[in-house]
Amino acid sequence: MTHEPQIQILPQKHRSIFFWFLVAVFLIALPSLIFYTTGYRLSFENEETSIVTTGGMYVTTDNLEVDVYLNEGQVERPRLFRSAYYIQNITADQHRIVVQSSGYQTWAKVLPVDSRVVTEVSAFNLPERAQIRPITLYETATGTSVYFSNKIIDKVFAQATSTETFYYSTSTATITLQINSEFLFVESLFGTTSTSTKSIFSRLLDEVGKFGFATTTPEKETAGITPIQRTLRGDMELFDEEGELYAKWLGSSAAIPYYFCISSSSVASTSQRYGEHVAAAVETARQSTSTPLLIDNNRVCRTQVKLDRLRQDVFYYHFFPNSSDLVLMQLQDGIYVTEIDDRAWQNTQLLYPGTDIKTIVENDVIYIKDGEYYFQIVTQIETN
Amino acid sequence: MIEKSHLLPYAQRSDFKVARANELTGKDRRFFRFLEIVPGVAAWSTIIGIVLASIYTPFIAAYFIIAFSIYWVLKTIFLSYHVRYNWKRLKHHMELDWGEMVQRFSYDKYYHLVIFPFYKEPIEVLEQTIEGVLAARYDPQKLIVVFAAEARAGAEAGAVARTLEKKYGNSFGHFLVTTHPSDITGEIAGKGSNVHWALQQVKQKVIDVHKIPYKNIVTSVFDIDTVIYPDYFNCLIWFFMTVENPYKSCFQPVPLFTNNLWEAGALSRVMAMSSTFWQMIMQERPEKAATFSSHSVSFQALYEIGYGQANVVSEDSRIFWNLMIANDGNFEVVSMSYPIAMDATTASTFLGTIANIYRQHRRWTYGVENWCYIVYHFTKNKAIPLKKRWSVALLQGEGYWSLVTNPIMLFILGWAPIFLGTREFHETVLSYELPIMVRNLLIVAMFGLVVSAIISLSLTPPRPDGHSRFRYIVMMLQWIMVPMTMIVFSAIPGLDAQTRLMFGRYMGFWVTPKARIK
Repeated sequence: MTHEPQIQILPQKHRSIFFWFLVAVFLIALPSLIFYTTGYRLSFENEETSIVTTGGMYVTTDNLEVDVYLNEGQVERPRLFRSAYYIQNITADQHRIVVQSSGYQTWAKVLPVDSRVVTEVSAFNLPERAQIRPITLYETATGTSVYFSNKIIDKVFAQATSTETFYYSTSTATITLQINSEFLFVESLFGTTSTSTKSIFSRLLDEVGKFGFATTTPEKETAGITPIQRTLRGDMELFDEEGELYAKWLGSSAAIPYYFCISSSSVASTSQRYGEHVAAAVETARQSTSTPLLIDNNRVCRTQVKLDRLRQDVFYYHFFPNSSDLVLMQLQDGIYVTEIDDRAWQNTQLLYPGTDIKTIVENDVIYIKDGEYYFQIVTQIETN
Repeated sequence: MIEKSHLLPYAQRSDFKVARANELTGKDRRFFRFLEIVPGVAAWSTIIGIVLASIYTPFIAAYFIIAFSIYWVLKTIFLSYHVRYNWKRLKHHMELDWGEMVQRFSYDKYYHLVIFPFYKEPIEVLEQTIEGVLAARYDPQKLIVVFAAEARAGAEAGAVARTLEKKYGNSFGHFLVTTHPSDITGEIAGKGSNVHWALQQVKQKVIDVHKIPYKNIVTSVFDIDTVIYPDYFNCLIWFFMTVENPYKSCFQPVPLFTNNLWEAGALSRVMAMSSTFWQMIMQERPEKAATFSSHSVSFQALYEIGYGQANVVSEDSRIFWNLMIANDGNFEVVSMSYPIAMDATTASTFLGTIANIYRQHRRWTYGVENWCYIVYHFTKNKAIPLKKRWSVALLQGEGYWSLVTNPIMLFILGWAPIFLGTREFHETVLSYELPIMVRNLLIVAMFGLVVSAIISLSLTPPRPDGHSRFRYIVMMLQWIMVPMTMIVFSAIPGLDAQTRLMFGRYMGFWVTPKARIK
């Protein structure tokens, strides 16, 4: 007969041994994991075990379907926050990052990665073929846009894809159709908005001309008709000056976007790591009183970046919808989008080709007038 | 003049049953008030400290969070080890024939005094409880059953008690219904004051009348929803007969909140089982435990301290601290590893269930009032060994602190440096690796939940008719709610309770509604 339970209470000795074992695990794990999370890794290269320091790269994209490549190797897609890639264990060196997807233009940059530091970068990919939504005066009862001339096919849709079906009417009768109020709105936009039809070069020439004749009171003249146009989004400003296009940070140094800043190093080093143009711009800013360098501990930040206009004249510029990091420019041969981030180079992608076009960004929607036709430009390929 | 000669010397002090600072005067009052403030200040300082550290010294905050996450994983492993071991012991104890095991003892002289305090619970809850006692494999003539009603519950509660007396009065050695008056000065309404009254009444009306020696009575104070397992009294008397000093011991069973488990929702089940697991852990380290909920102790011990306190919320644990301090530290919790069944907290609606669970856990975590009591008396009763005083005070203090802060630190503040840190911090690999590391460590810690899920299923009563087998899958998956329940039903009510105590907004006893969901 059993007189007492066979399983006794957990002996104090066992608990103590287990407790001190876990204490030992803690003491080993803590420094190991702290070293790991700060970027230290064990390296087994060349049959030698050594400790190396690594950095990382943080890539955000505006498109969930893209593939990201680091030095030609594909980066595994993130599971949750799919528009952001954190790439670990990168050695301190220059690294090429490429973001691409079928049907989209490729974005690429070569950037330095430093030990224990994460290099941030933001990629964008516009469709290879322009995506446009027709806006016609007449539409059917179900809202389908109606064109009365098939010239549209050759003129526009030879180089762009409509995101919505449209109807081509062989008859000019409009009795069964209805007026599209959006068309009236867009038409009024292009009719009333004080968008200058002059390019920034034209305005520069005008300005030079006025300087030439204003010999008597130049200060009054220049003060009265400043040629600078300014567009503001948050603390970021776009403006043109002397034929060039600039992005300028007006906010606090603490909130300045990362791409204005580089690690503080010599001119030669900056040139090698970020490009000669960045090194030159930093040195210019260093001497400047109007756009001085912001310098804190380990980095220097410019507050102004010149945008790449592909050596063309700029007819219109605005912030890209829902972004203060990308700029939409209407150049001589089409509408382009460029990034303000000029480290290494500025990626510039064609949004819509054309020479006889006008552009307006209204409430973060891009409207264009191509000849006599109005469209909205869609920046993603619609899959449905 | 209250007769105190039967009390232990320390229990004769006027401040022995102090509940709040305002019951004291002078330096003692200030000291007790200081103690009431300490837990809340410690918890809030920790939480605010981590936020400030995340803003101003994010690297140090990040290192601390990594250290804390590792600590949490190891703590989970350590506690899971205890749960698993106790589960084996519990199953073993449930398989033993305690009736046979106690045969070697002469225990006929012992009575079990069983007290069931109740308020407005429906009669079916009380009947299920009393049927459990009747079904026990123990001589009912050796049972003194007391149903302790509350006068403030009104005539209906009295009628319920009379119905029970009529139906079951002759089934036990003694059966008594007591009614706790609502107007006794110095008491707070609640289970503690009701039990206190019932103990005095049963002594006067049964024990002294029948001249039953106090040392021959083992008192079990059970919540009204407690349904005992058949061998409970045999198991209890076995431990009573075998422990080194039965009159200096409390006997703690494992509360399984399974009476209504199949009717309760997933949230109720998780909270119920989490509470059970914590008690299972404490069963394997009783030197760190205090009594909780339903438990047993000799009547002699209770008599020597004047039956505990009628002026506290957490009376189930306070009784142990009363006994321990009055006995100069020479009192212990004996873990029985034998189950009793109780109700999981529910309500007829989901929101009602959430509210009830929150209030119940706020009441439980208001047990922090015991820490003030312990530390206060540890400075007075120098007969308790210094080492014991320090270890108990620190251990209990750490318990209340970690209950409130750890879930918040782990699941919310772990990300604080990322959102609040400086620019220099945000540029580092550490800033990006920290959430990944914390997440991975939490995933490792979550494996403890797999153990919990398996053990909880093994403790679940058989599936009643009308319940789908699919419910078993839900019972496994419900454990993913644990991070949320730890914050919402442990940390926040705990913080609520400690903050109330800190500001002197003392809580009263909230009666957990007991009902059978039809």
